[in-house]
Order: sequence, then C-alpha cells, then structure tokens
Amino acid sequence: MARIEIEHLKYQYPATTKLALDDISFSVEPGEFIGIIGKNESGKSTLCQAIAGLVPNFYKGSYGGKVMVGEIEVKTVEVNEMCKTVGIVFQNPFNQVTGSKLTVYEEISFGLENMGIPKVEMIKRIDEAMELLDIIKYKDRNPFDLSGGQMQRMAIASIIAMQPEVIILDEPTSQLDPQGREEVFQAVQKLSKKGITIIMVEHNMEKIAQYSDRVVLLNDTKLVAIDTPQKIFSRDDLDSFGVEAPVFTKICRGLHLKNEETGCYPVTLEEASRLFQRLVKEESHNE
Amino acid sequence: MKSISLYEEKGSVLNKIAPESKILYIVAALVIPYLIGSRWVSLGFIIASILLLLSAKVIRKTVPILGVSGFVLITVLLIQGLFRAGNVTPILSLGPVVFYKEGVNFALGIVINVLNILLSFCVLILTTKPSDMIENFVRKGFSPRFGYVFISIFQIIPQMTETMATITDAQRSRGMETEGNLFIRVKAFIPLISPVVMSSLINTKERALALEVRGFNSTIQKTFLNDEKKIPADKWIQLGMVVAIVAAIVFRIVLVVMYFM
Amino acid sequence: MSKIEIKNLHFSYTENEEILKGMDFVLDERSTAIIGQNGAGKTTFVKLLKGLLRPTAGQILLNGADIAGMTVAQLAKHIGMVFQNPNDQIFKNKVIDEIIFGPMQIGMSRAEAEKKAKEAMAFVGIAGREEENPYDLGLSARKLVAIASIVAMDTEVIIFDEPTIAQDYAGKERIKDIIRTLRAQGKTVITIIHDMDFVADTFERAIVFAQGKAILDDSTKNVFAEKEVLEKAYLEQPNVTKLCQKLGYEEVFLNVYEFIEHQRKLG
Repeated sequence: MARIEIEHLKYQYPATTKLALDDISFSVEPGEFIGIIGKNESGKSTLCQAIAGLVPNFYKGSYGGKVMVGEIEVKTVEVNEMCKTVGIVFQNPFNQVTGSKLTVYEEISFGLENMGIPKVEMIKRIDEAMELLDIIKYKDRNPFDLSGGQMQRMAIASIIAMQPEVIILDEPTSQLDPQGREEVFQAVQKLSKKGITIIMVEHNMEKIAQYSDRVVLLNDTKLVAIDTPQKIFSRDDLDSFGVEAPVFTKICRGLHLKNEETGCYPVTLEEASRLFQRLVKEESHNE
Repeated sequence: MKSISLYEEKGSVLNKIAPESKILYIVAALVIPYLIGSRWVSLGFIIASILLLLSAKVIRKTVPILGVSGFVLITVLLIQGLFRAGNVTPILSLGPVVFYKEGVNFALGIVINVLNILLSFCVLILTTKPSDMIENFVRKGFSPRFGYVFISIFQIIPQMTETMATITDAQRSRGMETEGNLFIRVKAFIPLISPVVMSSLINTKERALALEVRGFNSTIQKTFLNDEKKIPADKWIQLGMVVAIVAAIVFRIVLVVMYFM
Repeated sequence: MSKIEIKNLHFSYTENEEILKGMDFVLDERSTAIIGQNGAGKTTFVKLLKGLLRPTAGQILLNGADIAGMTVAQLAKHIGMVFQNPNDQIFKNKVIDEIIFGPMQIGMSRAEAEKKAKEAMAFVGIAGREEENPYDLGLSARKLVAIASIVAMDTEVIIFDEPTIAQDYAGKERIKDIIRTLRAQGKTVITIIHDMDFVADTFERAIVFAQGKAILDDSTKNVFAEKEVLEKAYLEQPNVTKLCQKLGYEEVFLNVYEFIEHQRKLG
C-alpha cells in the first residue's frame, strides 16, 4: 500500500498573484483516515487536488516541491493514469454524473471503460462497488433520479470500482441533508475499514472528530498542524484559524474538563459522556 | 426522468438490430427514389417505414411528429392547389374555390417526399438508444470525446432547464416580472440568462474535472460494458441496402447514357 | 410586525400525489425554522409563501389579506427570500448594481435604492465593496451579496433557504448575527434548514414537516426534546441535546452556553 509524502509543496494557479499552497509538508501512512479542516479558501481543495494530480496537471500554474504517492511522483504522471492510484470525489454530486449513461450500473462503468478493463472484470468490479456503497437497489435507475446522498454514493462507487489505494473526498456531504450525510459517512467508514487511505475535507467538526485518525489544520494556504483530533481541537488558538471545535469539546473547555488519559478535551459524544459519567461517580464516591 | 430522447425500449427486432442498418435504411429511402426518379418508389418506402414502425410498436409516437408537419403539408397542398402559377386543369371546385391538377400534383410530390424523410428517420430515432448508436460509432473509430458530447446533451439539456426554473424563481422573488408583453420579456432576458450561463460554466468545469479523474482522456484502448448492438441478420440487411443503392445508381447511369445515345 | 396565517393549506402538482396535505399554523414575530427531511414539503411551502406556486386548496393570509390576490411581483414587496445558491441570482458586474436591482423592481427610486443598498451592505458586513465584481468574490462573500440584495428590499418578512450550506465557521456566525438582528428589528424571519445546531442556536421556534404535514410546532427547546418524533421525521437532535440525553438529563439544553451554565450551577 502506498504512503503519501508531501515535501515543501508550493503552488500558484495560473493568472493569479497569490500562492494557493505555501510550503506544505506532511506524510500519511497507508490506511489512515485523515481529516482536513480550515476556513474557506485556506487551501483545502487545492491540497486535495495536488494529491490527486489535478494540480498541476489539469490546472497548470507554478508548482514547487514534491508529492509522492508510493513510488509515484504525482506531478510526472498524467491524471488519467494517476486516477488508478488516487481517486477523488467532489462536493457537488450532481456535477459528477457523466450524463452519458442511462443507469446507475452503466454510470459506474464509465471509468472502467476508459481504463480498458475487460468486460468480465468490469462487471465484477461494478457489483462489488455497488455492494460496498449499498446502492444495488438503484442499479437500473437513471443517475439523475437519485437523491443527493444516493448520487454521492454512486459517485464514490464509480471511483472505488477503479480500485485506487487512496480516496480523497472534498466536502462530499456539504450539499446533502443529514440523512444523506450519514449515508456517506457510513460508506466512507466501510472503505476505511477495508484499508483504503481516506483523506476527507469536511466542515462538520463532530464528524471529523469521530472518524479521523489525524487532522490536518490549514490556515491561509499554510499547514498549521497535523495531529490527533484531540490535540488539534484542544488548541487554544483554534478560533484564530476560523475553525470551530466540536460542540463536545467546547462544552468541556468551558468547564475545564480534560480527559486525563489524553491530556486533551474530549472531542466526541462518547468521549464527553464517559468523562461526565465518571465525574458523577467520583463525586458520589467522595460524598 | 425527463429526457429529450424519443427512444423507447419495446424489445422489438428494430430495437435489437444495429443502428448502422437503420441509418443505411434512411440513406436508401432518400437516395433511391431520387435516383430512380419515381414518386411510386417513395410511396413504397413510406409503406415500408409504416410497416417497420408498426412491427416495433412505436407507430403512435409518430402521431405528434406527423401532426405538426401535417399542418404545414396541408397548407402547402391548399396554396399550391389553388394558386400555383401554371394551374390550368381544374379537378375539384367547391363554389368559387377551384383546385387545379398541376398544383395538387406538385404539392403531392412535396408531401410524399417529406413523409418519406420523416418516417424513415422515425424508424431510427424511435427505436434506437442514442448511446448505442454512438458506442457503435466509437467502436468503428469515431472520437469518444465527440461521442460523449453528443450523448450527454440528451441528459444535460433537461438538467439545464431545471436550473433555469430555479433562476426564474429567484429573480421573480426580487420583484421582476417575467410574463406579459414583449418589452417585459426582453427586459427579463439578461437577469435570467446571465446566471444560467455562469452556472453552466461552473458546472461544466466541475464536470470536466470529474470526467478527467475517471480516465476520460486515457489513450488506452477503450472497452465497453454493453455488447455491440447487432444481430447476425445485420450483415445481410446492410448488404441488401448497399446493393439496392448501387443498383439504383447503375439504373440512373444507364438511363443517362441511354438518353445521350 | 407581520402575521402570516396558514389555513388548511394543500398543494399537489398531479392529482394523485399530494405534496402538502393540509397545514394550519400562524407565523408570528418569532424567528421560525422549518425542518424536515428532503421531500417533506419545505421548499414547496416557501414557494407557496412567495406566490411562485399557488395552493390547490386553503389560504395564506398576509396580515389578514389573502395572497391569492397578489402577483409574485406584488408579494415581493412584503416577503423577501434568499435562495440557497447565490449563483442563481447574480447577474450584474458590480456588487452595488446587483443589490439595487430588487429594491428598484419593487418601486424604489434609484436614490432610495442606493441608500438601502449601502445600509444593507454595512449590515451584512460588506461595506466598501460596491464596485467589485460579484463573481470575483469568494463563496462566503457572494452569499452575503445575495443576502444584502434581499435585505435592501426592506420587506417585513425574510425567508432564508438553507443559509448555512457551504459556509465555514465565520460565515455561519455572520449569518447567525444577521438573523438575530433582523429579528430584533421586528422582521419576521423564516428559514428552511438542515443544520440543527444552527437552529438550536439561532431560532426561537421550530416546525417539523414530515410527509406534507406539520407534525410538531413549538419552541425550539421543546421540539428538540421530542427525540421519537424527530427520529420518525428522519431528523437529528442538536449535538448538545444528544449529550444531555446520553447523560440522562431531564431538561434539554440547546447550545454550549446553556449547558455550561447549567453545569456550573450544579457546581
């Protein structure tokens, strides 16, 4: 499995005067679930596209530093080759539908046809991807007739069928209702359990805290930190980056309640409620 | 799902045969009557088209198409029958209104030609999935990018009309009148069309990215999920069409040569 | 202060599939969030309020007058609506021109429209950006242009369609402030929204839509206490409320601040 290594990555879009990414360095171990957070225009999407090779190979522009995925240097490989190793899913499910296929089943075949996968293998992969994303029941539906959450799962299935080792999801749930968001998160978690490396941009901090192994915090095109959700969300300067901590962290911070094991504030519902319950027990003990 | 494609799957033989066979049929239906120079041949093709459409159970879908053109054709018949220069032989008079043979005859020629064109195209359009047709072309070396544009239009245009509806709502919500006289409609054009153009540009860029990461520009030999649309008889159908066309050409040449001798 | 009475409201596009199946409630000065799963009828409802659709049965009374007698353009003077995606409305090359469009459509003079536009820009926090091209702005700022273009129309009622979508923390906080201030100015603020934490923090009243009916209508606090009803409508509770219930509290709290206060009192 491929390890991702980013070294001093700098990038500027063509016809702009400001860097979009400024000296970013970090690495991701195979199978990790990485959350990317930061305010709008902090460089989250650009970073995603740099790992998928769209930056610089689709956009052009000036590029410095290096992004390695396994043995591949991303910059040197065409996007249509890179997509076999790194898949990317975008925010708007609607604009990811090709429009040239009449059923969900055919839609998933689009990338496989382009990759020249033989028919027998193609059918096997489509079936597996539909199973994994739980969309078999929509097999014969027109892709445009799905709900947002279903459409986004179809988009993920289309990428999964290409069997990448890394999947990047750039705000895949921001256009969805809570049910659609939950469907997508459950699906992504399943992929993560299969050992696929997940890199996900998301504005919902409770979800980021719940699912990520580590969190990348970006501010103004620069990397602030990469660390566990507990460490990131316990930072005292979080507000200054335009980032909100999960609700549970805010409560515990307000009450100065740290989790003794981690030395940080709790970040998830489970962690916070465990802490509160233990406190109640201790109090009744003392009395 | 709204789609502007008129195709419908009925499991008929016409649904199963290769789109190329149907295209050759259109070519034959248009070229042969011209080469032979007889209206009767056109009439023969019209009957053949009707029989084919009947066998494919899609004859009812031709009604709206014929309805629209029928109106125009009747107008042609009336005007030519009544007023064509060179009208001398009356065939029917209703009071002061007199139809002439020459005009009616000329108009009938037009009617037959138009019907022949419409019906033979219907044989293709009503029984063929656009993507099957394009895929067959791509297999024969046609550019996949061009093919993609052609197929996706059928689905993306209905989607654009939905965007248009939202934009209309948004502007009406700001007090803009969109209905009424021509002046009001002209004034409403820019506030409606600019957001449509801008959002289409944004959508197109996003879709281009999404296609790119699914290997759209790959130079690898493409494979296909669906089998090629064809049946064994296609070879013979196509051969038959080609032979008929060639025969018509030969007939024409012979005719011309005989004329000069 | 405006009052909107909804009386036995029905709507359907086709005969056999009713979207709204009879709704009765009154929208008053309280800021109100309409929540519900996609397809519950929220969007249809606000389109009816704006006159973009017309009821198949029942009435909507704005301050006692049936809106059936008003055109969409006439209604626009009274009820403004900020659409979800600013790109669906923006068509001018200058921010100021975009914002004065609505006010001028509803009959304000250019001078008055410009005055209102400048006030609205200051109000949402984009003062001084009059001459910029809206398309050059980032998504958050573009959303603020869309909000200002409705605020400048100075309607008694303002509807927000999914105001927090694609907004970051700062954007959400800004919109929260805007809604609270509009409420304080005596405007009737209504939203249709999926973001429950935002509702809990910002709105006084919540109405739950499910399958074309208003199944729950109460103060935000009472609505979010009804875990079973919310689940039935495929809705989540706000995160703070979830924590309260997990800890077995009898009272629910809506936001971080209330929860902390409560805990401090407990000592």
